[in-house]
Order: sequence, then structure tokens, then C-alpha cells
Amino acid sequence: MTADARPRPPSPTVTAEEFETRRAQVHAMGGPAKLAARREAGILNARERIDRLCDPGSWIEIGEFAWSAREEDRGRTPAEGIVTGFGKVEGRDVAVASFDLTVLGASSSATNIRKLDFLKKRASAAGIPCAFLIESAGARMPDIQGATGMGRIGLLSSMSRDRDTPWVSAVLGPCYGMGTWYAVMSDFAVMRKDATFSVSSPKVTSVAMSQEVTPEELGGSDLHAETTGQVDLVTDTDEEAIDALRRFLAYLPSNASEAPPMGTPAPGGDPEEVEALIPPERHRIYDGRKLVGLLADEGSVMPFRPRFGRTLETALARIDGRTVGLVASNPMRKGGAIDGPSCRKMTEFTVLCDSFNVPIILLADTPGFLVGLQAEREGVAGEIMNNIRALTLATVPKLAVVVRKSYGQAYLNLGGGIADALAVMTTGEVGFVDPAVAVSVVHNRRRGDGEDYETLMQDMVVSNSPWELAGMFAAHAVIRPGETRAWLSRMLEVMRRRPTGEVGAHRLSTWPTSL
Amino acid sequence: MEAKSEITGRVLEVVASPGQQLAEDDPIVVLESMKMEIAVTAPRAGTLREIKVGVDDLVEEDQVVALMDPA
Repeated sequence: MTADARPRPPSPTVTAEEFETRRAQVHAMGGPAKLAARREAGILNARERIDRLCDPGSWIEIGEFAWSAREEDRGRTPAEGIVTGFGKVEGRDVAVASFDLTVLGASSSATNIRKLDFLKKRASAAGIPCAFLIESAGARMPDIQGATGMGRIGLLSSMSRDRDTPWVSAVLGPCYGMGTWYAVMSDFAVMRKDATFSVSSPKVTSVAMSQEVTPEELGGSDLHAETTGQVDLVTDTDEEAIDALRRFLAYLPSNASEAPPMGTPAPGGDPEEVEALIPPERHRIYDGRKLVGLLADEGSVMPFRPRFGRTLETALARIDGRTVGLVASNPMRKGGAIDGPSCRKMTEFTVLCDSFNVPIILLADTPGFLVGLQAEREGVAGEIMNNIRALTLATVPKLAVVVRKSYGQAYLNLGGGIADALAVMTTGEVGFVDPAVAVSVVHNRRRGDGEDYETLMQDMVVSNSPWELAGMFAAHAVIRPGETRAWLSRMLEVMRRRPTGEVGAHRLSTWPTSL
Repeated sequence: MEAKSEITGRVLEVVASPGQQLAEDDPIVVLESMKMEIAVTAPRAGTLREIKVGVDDLVEEDQVVALMDPA
């Protein structure tokens, strides 16, 4: 067709000029002063964060011209405070919501709750992850006030999820109310170190509880990384936080009905370094994180919640390119004794792996569960049973390795009798308790107590040996420490769930996102 | 900056000395607990100022074992 030379009549509704003006108004967000202040502070704005998360040129916005349901606020609610749309991360589509604090504090309102609801539903239907880049002042007044405001919220959306696609969150500023809900409901939550998130703001806390507290006391990054365990990683900058979301998503499938994508295989650590790392003496400690690093493809380990429950290291990693979830005792922390936080962290990590078809690898070197007054008062018994139920119900391939000692109930919780295959290293020993404790309980003897103490001790040690476990076929292999990576890699290949396209039954996908 | 014990135990050995530069996770004292030798380590990099326990002392969980000046 040739161009029509005749003058066209003007558009009956919107001119190109008006369209560009409107778009510019939306993209100006909360105005130049607020944006300049953020730039000064080294903090990205809501749209820059999307650019950081998504592959160049992949962003398509949804609800760009949405505004407040209150007519008087239309002019000051560009994109209604939460920018939503779809972009690609490493070539795969992701639904993204970026909270814009410069627009009425990215507070939750009728329209932006509907924007989020739209995003979540379309992401589930399309089988793509959701990424939330969060900061929020909480509920917007007067939108959410009185019976009408609150009643409307109840009719608008549901704060639930099926864990059918991965959710990731970055908390990148002050965050209360709805923003906090998204953070704790995610499969992976990262926060910038000076960000905060809590249910209520200090202002509300002050009025409701007569407590004068700072935002950091209520929900700073140290608190969440070390005490509540509600954040999985803390970073110095926005850029690092968003890069962590990209990295995390790269290990996982786009949805629960797919197998995780294969990465580029890389060599693992030197087998001789593995041999050298593990001290044969059962009372000596070493850094369990180093063992994880040596067994995985070089540079592939992404620690999950590293500052919480540190007696068990949890990490996503790759072995010969295949995504795995590693759970490893860290004898450097409390000798590797599993405490309540470690137990809860492992359970949540098991749920994550089971939900997204990630094989689980368990590396046991533990004197047992940490018992005592405090643990019992905190209900550790229930946590131990939640933990073993989760591992049992998980239908992904599960491989267990007894690195050194694995005593009592902890042996079972780290895969004894549950894993698809269990190997015991030549350095391994399995029993009810440490041999010295066993001698003390069974024979009522302590070191230096009678001439035959050493004989009794030796008998206990022998009864804990790899040969006993392999002989009664509770261990399926005895391996030298240096052979571990090769054994794991081969067993991962063998144990693939071929009949279901490497997709599990996801019996844990309805378990809580915070345990 | 305080280095605290993560666990209840008895001091087996003091392995660092005041004035020493330590990296994060470097051991300061070694405890015996759960039939294991468990180190109390530097929480972050810094200089060791004072060690508050000696060999054979009993240490409680969360007890401050050493003081450090952060790097």
C-alpha cells in the first residue's frame, strides 16, 4: 500500500501528543524532587529496578495508566503506585510488581490490589514466576477505612498461593502491611541491609501497644536474617538484591510442572581436597560450607538463609549442570548439632525443593539434635517431626551421605531410611549416640574408670562402623570422601523421575511459606 | 563487638591472643560440648581486645567470651 496523501481527520479521542504527555506523567512517578533524593542516596527507583531485573527490551507494562479509584487522587497516582508487567530473566518470562514509594508511599489501595491480583492470576495461568520489588507505607488512608474500605479489600483479592510458580521478593525500603505479606509468602526473600519490614509501623505500634521502637528493632535486616529467618539473603545495595533474584530464578523451573533448567556443567573441587578437609577424629570440627563448595560445580553454590540456623547449611547449587538443593551439617556451628532454627530452615528448604522438582542432597555430620531446656520449651519435638515428615513426603530424588558421625534421630532426619540412596563415607559412623556417651549409659563408665574402658569404647566404635550399616543394607554404598561428587552425580542421573518428566507430586506445595 | 558462645560447654583451649588481627570466623577459644571441640569464632573481622575466659571455665550459651574492635 502507498501512503495516503490526503490530510487525516484528527483522532476522535486521543491524539499522539496527549498519549505521550500522559505516558510522560506516569513515568515521572512521584516527581523530580523525590526521584533526585533517591538518586542521591544511591537507591534505584521503581522503574530502574525493573530495568535491572529484566533482560533489555523484554519489558511489557500492564496497567501503566491505572490510577486511584478515588477521583480526587487520579492526578497524583501514576500507575497507582505499583508498576506491574512482564519481563524476561535470562530469556524466561517473569511477572513483575515494583512498588513505587514516591507515589503515596506505594500504599495499598483498591486499584493496585487489583493490579497485583491480575498479575498473580496471569502468572499462574501462564506458568511463570512472580517477582516483587517491595517497599510500602502499608494500607492507604482513606481508601481502606471503615467497613466499606475493609469490606472492599476482602472482596478484591486473596492472600494465598498454590506454589504453582516460584515467587521471589526483594525488600528495598521501609515496608509494612501488604508489602510484608508478599515478602514472607515468597520462596526466596532478599533485603537490602538498611531496608526494614514488619507487620506494623513504629507509629502504629506506638499507638496500639504503647511501645516506642525503631523500624530496625521491628524489622531490620539483622533481625530477619538471624532471628526470625524471614529473609534468605541480605545485600548492601538494590543492584545486588535484584541480581540475587535473577540468580535464584535461574536454578528453578518457570513452574511446578517443569523440570529445572540444565545449567552449563562446571568442574567440582579436587577430590584430594575433600579427603583433606574431613578430619577422621570425630571431635574435630571443619567448615561444612567448604564441603558443599567442593562437591558442587565451581561457583554454583547459592546459600539459602546463611545467617539463620547455621548448624545446617542450605544452598541451591549445580552438580554437572543439574540443579540440586543441598542440606549439609556444619560442624563449625555448635558441632553440627541440629537446633530448632536449623530444623525449621531445612523443612522450609525441603518444601521449596519438593515444590519445584529440585533433587535434595543431604550431607550428615552431626552429634544429633540439640536438646535441653530451651529447645524443649520451644517445641523442638514438633519441629523434628515436621522435618522428617517433609523429607518423607517429598517426591523429588533424595540422596544422603553420612560424612562422619550421624547419631540418633538426626540420622533419620538427614535421610537414613528415607533417601532414595544413602552412601556412608569411610569416615562415617552411625549409632544412637557418641561412643563415649554410649559407654557411659550402657556400662556406667567414664574415661579412666576401670581397666577395660578402652575395650568397651572400642566395641562401641566398631558397632558404629560403615561396614555395619552397609552389611545390613541400610547404606547402599561405602565411598571414600573423594568419591562423593562422582557418586552424587551418577546417582542424580540414575534417580531422575523419567515417568513424569522429572516432575514430582508436590505433596508439600500447600505447606506454610513460613514455618 | 562481642564474640559469644553458641553453645554451653567447657573451655578446652584458648587459641588467639589480645591484639591479634582476626578474620570473620577465625577461632578465639575452643570449647568441649556435645563431645565435640567447638570454636567460638570472630563474628566479623577485627582486632581481639580481651578474652574473658580461661581453660576449664564453664561457658553458657550466649555468654560473651571475648571483646573485639571491628576492622
